[in-house]
Amino acid sequence: MAVYLMCLTLFMVGIYCILRKRNIVKIIIGLIITEYAVNLFFVLLGYRMEGRAPIYSPAQAIVNMVDPIPQALILTSIVIGLAVTALVVGIAIRIYEKYGTFDITQIKRLKG
Amino acid sequence: MNKRNDDPAGMSLIVKTVARVTTGLILLYGMYIIIHGHVSPGGGFAGGVIVALAFVLLVLAFGKKFTMEKISVSRASLVESLGAIMFLAIALAGFAGGYFFLNFFTNKGEPFRVFSAGIIPLCNIAISLKVAAGLFAIFMILVILESTVKKDK
Repeated sequence: MAVYLMCLTLFMVGIYCILRKRNIVKIIIGLIITEYAVNLFFVLLGYRMEGRAPIYSPAQAIVNMVDPIPQALILTSIVIGLAVTALVVGIAIRIYEKYGTFDITQIKRLKG
Repeated sequence: MNKRNDDPAGMSLIVKTVARVTTGLILLYGMYIIIHGHVSPGGGFAGGVIVALAFVLLVLAFGKKFTMEKISVSRASLVESLGAIMFLAIALAGFAGGYFFLNFFTNKGEPFRVFSAGIIPLCNIAISLKVAAGLFAIFMILVILESTVKKDK
């Protein structure tokens, strides 16, 4: 149970970073931390005590393996997270090009 | 001392030398991960990321101009599209035997043998082409974006 609470703490750190920080780079880092906390939670759900990696190899009995399905899901999730991170970083670079700052309180040119 | 080492672009001589030694090994390791994707952990995505990281190491060590002469973004985009088309072609070729993704090379593979899995290694190679070229293109586009920002300032 304590592991899940620590995972939740990591998620909360990421949420705090997204909501509270003013720098766009720090917001992106918070986004990544949140995403990895969710990934970690899924992998933890499939874990069992003293479990082996779910790799079928010769001369080894299939006993006590961890659940491979969350791991396969999380692999896809990591790929999507990579694409999202690349998109967000690209947008951040464009914002810096346009406004010359990463501070979101300074980005208010559209404000009437 | 050849010309590449004296080039002021990129990092120091130590980094360049180490990068020149290790890039081939990283590429080889990525190819090992790709080829053995169906018998051991790894596969198209993981191996493709490793192959892309070898090229990223080249960009970091030698500067982007040197790498852009070898592989441009448009060529990376071409390879990426080729990977996607190859994957689709493998899937569609199964229709010749009856259904989508038909494993038409073998009926039944043997466990732990590399060349026994039919179309699965081919699919892994197609995925790795797409992932490697796509990741490298993402990195290069971010580098180009950053350099245009610096030029404007």
